[in-house]
Amino acid sequence: MLGFVVQRAFQAFVVMVVMSMIVFVGVYAVGNPVDIVIPPDATQAMRAEAIHRLGLDLPLWQQYGVFVWRLLHGDFGRSFVYNMPVLDLIGGRLPATLELVLISILFATGVGVSLGVYAGVRPSGLVAKSIMGLSILGFSVPSFWVGLILILTFAVSLGWLPAGGRGETVEVFGVPWSFLTLDGLGHIVLPALNLALFKMAMMIRLARAGTREAMLSDTVKFARAAGISEGTILRRHVLKLISIPIITVFGLELGSTVAFAVVTETIFSWPGIGKLIIDSIGVLDRPVMVAYLVLTALLFVMINFTVDLVFAAIDPRVRSGKTRT
Amino acid sequence: MTEILSAAPAPASPLRLFWREFRRNRLATAALAVTVALALLAAFAPLVAPQNPYDLAHLSLADARRPPGYLGTGGYVYLLGTDPQGRDLLSAILYGLRVSVEIGLAAGCIALTIGATFGVLAAYAGGWIETLIMRAVDLQLSFPAILLALVLAALLGQGKAQLVTALVAAQYAYFARTAYGAAAAERRKDYIEAAMATPLGAGRVVFRHLLPNCAPPLIVVATVQIASSISLEATLSFLGLGLPVTEPSLGMLISNGFPYMMSGRYWISVYPGLMLILLIMAINIVGDQVRDQLNPRLRR
Amino acid sequence: MTFIKVIGAVALSLVLLGTAGTVGAQTLTVGVRGGPESMDPDYSALGTHAEVAKHIFDTLVRADENLQIKPGLATSWKPIDAETWEFKLRKGVKFHDGSDFTAEDVKFSIARVPIVTGPTSTAVYVRRVKSVEIVDPYTVRIHTDGPAPALPYDFVRLFIVSAKAAKDYSTPETAAEGFNSGKATIGTGPFKFVSWEPKGDLVLERFDGYWGGAAPWKRVIRKEIPNDASRLAALKAGQVDLVNDVSSADYLQLAKDPQVDTFVGDSIYIMNLLLDQRPDVMPDVMPGVRAKDGSPLPKNPLTDRRVRQAFSMAIDRKTMVDVVLEGLGKPAKEGMPAGFFGFDSAVPDPVYDPAKAKALLAKAGYPDGFQIDLYCTSDRLPGDAAICQGLGQMLSVIGIDVNVRATSKTVYFPAQSRGEYSVSMNGWGTLTGEASYTLSSQMHTKDPGKGLGAYNRIHYSNPDLDALIERGSVELDENKRRAIFEKAMAMATADRVLIPIVQLQTVWAARKGMLTFTPRTDQDTLAYYIKPKG
Repeated sequence: MLGFVVQRAFQAFVVMVVMSMIVFVGVYAVGNPVDIVIPPDATQAMRAEAIHRLGLDLPLWQQYGVFVWRLLHGDFGRSFVYNMPVLDLIGGRLPATLELVLISILFATGVGVSLGVYAGVRPSGLVAKSIMGLSILGFSVPSFWVGLILILTFAVSLGWLPAGGRGETVEVFGVPWSFLTLDGLGHIVLPALNLALFKMAMMIRLARAGTREAMLSDTVKFARAAGISEGTILRRHVLKLISIPIITVFGLELGSTVAFAVVTETIFSWPGIGKLIIDSIGVLDRPVMVAYLVLTALLFVMINFTVDLVFAAIDPRVRSGKTRT
Repeated sequence: MTEILSAAPAPASPLRLFWREFRRNRLATAALAVTVALALLAAFAPLVAPQNPYDLAHLSLADARRPPGYLGTGGYVYLLGTDPQGRDLLSAILYGLRVSVEIGLAAGCIALTIGATFGVLAAYAGGWIETLIMRAVDLQLSFPAILLALVLAALLGQGKAQLVTALVAAQYAYFARTAYGAAAAERRKDYIEAAMATPLGAGRVVFRHLLPNCAPPLIVVATVQIASSISLEATLSFLGLGLPVTEPSLGMLISNGFPYMMSGRYWISVYPGLMLILLIMAINIVGDQVRDQLNPRLRR
Repeated sequence: MTFIKVIGAVALSLVLLGTAGTVGAQTLTVGVRGGPESMDPDYSALGTHAEVAKHIFDTLVRADENLQIKPGLATSWKPIDAETWEFKLRKGVKFHDGSDFTAEDVKFSIARVPIVTGPTSTAVYVRRVKSVEIVDPYTVRIHTDGPAPALPYDFVRLFIVSAKAAKDYSTPETAAEGFNSGKATIGTGPFKFVSWEPKGDLVLERFDGYWGGAAPWKRVIRKEIPNDASRLAALKAGQVDLVNDVSSADYLQLAKDPQVDTFVGDSIYIMNLLLDQRPDVMPDVMPGVRAKDGSPLPKNPLTDRRVRQAFSMAIDRKTMVDVVLEGLGKPAKEGMPAGFFGFDSAVPDPVYDPAKAKALLAKAGYPDGFQIDLYCTSDRLPGDAAICQGLGQMLSVIGIDVNVRATSKTVYFPAQSRGEYSVSMNGWGTLTGEASYTLSSQMHTKDPGKGLGAYNRIHYSNPDLDALIERGSVELDENKRRAIFEKAMAMATADRVLIPIVQLQTVWAARKGMLTFTPRTDQDTLAYYIKPKG
């Protein structure tokens, strides 16, 4: 097992090095931020000065070298726009994204699994059909459109909930959170719902498929024959059977929800890292783009690494490399 | 998840049987009819649309932002109203549909070709080529498509070709993984090993056995991916990273009309939105049915 | 930041819940479209950046709502010779930390600008300063490199920081930390800095010792909400009291809304059609102007004044305002708004006459018109893409085939400065409120050595106009200078150097009956000048 862990950790490390290079070259190869951050009426001398100050006069490999050297000291460089250390900029916004993502994925899983299990138990009923219709709708409707409709309905027409922003926050250990205040909760409802819909559609399908298979399994058949009540069967057996794939997907989707938050945060002006990256792309703020992408890559690599380890712990065949994960 | 997707393909069933089974699902049949109808509308938009919405000489600012049913200065009734430039919205939607379908199909087909080639190549060649390709594919699959498309679209700039490139780069890996799964399962069978040993083997193996086996799961993935390309394109355009304002897809129309929502001129944004949802949903329902039929075990 | 910490903290936060969320009655919450890039006032020259700085810091000279200059921290100023300005400073002014404002702070503030400026350089405001001489604690003399009659206008954006508080935070590495944390954010302005999050909320508190009298609000919160619809929704939902930059799409509806007050003000922005004047038409040099069949033209039609006049005549400015901008604008006739220093009111209003425009085109040798690619921004100023498309329609009426290409500003400006667009349209703001700014950067022959014509994207060159502009720039007598600039402005307009289309207007919206507000031409939303009603 230790050998497996070391091997996978090494692989993850190699992946990160490769990813950082791809990201760096990709972001640096295209577009010239100087044209955007420097006013067009700047004199040649001012332009040269700014290029030098931003470190854009070095050849690409040297820029990468500087980047890695700084990175080893825990420094992602400074934002071209804000002249602030990128890590401070991202760190200040991370809690907003984290709470949004966690709340929406918990909501998606809770509601999605309940509905999915129900649809799996009574697959031919009208309710089940409606649930499945809902899930197709959730898959099909682009999330930005849902966001717009949510704002128009609940914020503009009905005026029940705020249209954007994060609202009142409470500092806990120096980190501001908005789900701990009533005002903050009000702000988080719409974006969280928006972000959750797609994942919920997926959870419904997953849970329904799993439930249907579980209901046909021998365990459930015997339990039924033994006269155990439906509720107990669901709780004891079905949920147990479908929980493993659902937990796996939960973990994997955590990462992709962070990515999807880009759209939701933009629509709801949620001050998280997704909105930061869109703004940074708009002005070609390279250090922020690179840091965001490298950190996201790191997040994914770590999630995959964890999933691999968990699988290996459960299933010894994985360790010998016979099956792929 | 990919494991389930790529597992044992269905036995090839004659087209007629397939169609008979498909027709039994009335919802799916209706969705297919809608999909075909929309595709035809998109293809023949210039013939069907009452107005060429991009011929500036035929627009009139006097007719700007008129509600549905308005009788315009030219004596023509704007069924779905007009946009801020006095453009007939119905025509704009038909042209926008054309752009959206065009981009979705182009991205889907190119991604299919590239992905299938990589997948089959990996399965066929084995060894380090297999490791290299599939490691790269897995790496990319672990990264959400939307993020990749977003960054690429931002880097490449606005325009159709750039957008398609970004979408292909974001999606080819799904095809590669699927093709590889199906092809690799077949590749390990004894008769293939035997056929490979004969001098005529390689081409015959690839074209007669590996590719046909990949086809059913690839078709399923293709429907899903075309729908998701269209949706992704709309999202990127909405974020201002897709097409230029003057070459609008459905997503761009929604985005252009959104500023007018608050003041009650809903039609400029809502109708293109409904068209987009109709299109994506129809494709998804068809894709769902095809998947169920090709392999009952194939579930997401 | 770990989750365990969070879970452990829930109990604690439940206690805090009771205290958070109460907002005082004397709080003004403003929803703004854009915000600052740093709390260091000298970091960026962007308007939204300076707007925030004006809450916390003062300037020696300030601009009133029509951009005409007024005393600020300086009570008076006068040129004492051709290359020296003397400023008398206001006495008894206190910084937020209680220390006195003196000439030392002025000298320090000027010296730090070129060092700490970011890419959008603020160094332009002090570029004419050669040295600063402190005569006594309340008198400074500024020695300039040559005559600098516009120096007081430059100083409208020269923010005075505390020499004591900012001493350790005046290098590119330390400035952001010192100012963003509040340690160096000590000014003499009406509000004290409390907190700021980039692209997020800025919180300010009243400075009771303000020399101009305490501000009407105890607390001011500026929330950055870039999306127009979201910002308006926030107002309607009662999350903010006032919003700026209401989009023209919402204006008419909003003006009828019984729960909202609207305030319309002129902006400094004029939308101009820019026509490349390079005489040689090589297809690779002049992309975007060609015959209708796509073949190159024998010469550049845009150099012909009659063609430019025809273009101007084809534009129905009234429709542009009434329909495209839904009433939020004014027809424009010169390159800067009426009433600015150097605006010539004698210039006749532009006429709309497509038939005559066609005749002019025919006279110039283009009876069947030609084809152009018209480029414009789609995300910079309100209505830019819509005006551009409207322009396309209007030009097509006189027989010009127009391909409208609206692109993002991040694509547009670099390409425009490389000379890739022959026909383009964008807004121009006369930030200083006087003509030399617009004339010398947009209409003077491009001359990097003199720093003139930097924004002359159309390669226009007219020695007569150049001479006038240069003469006006060194004339210290205000009335003579005004006459020179009026003449230059009339000359430029007659020659159709650029074709002004509309002057944009901006709208603020506030909760009904809550406050009074006078719109400023520079579009600043300054809390000090917003008064509660009743």
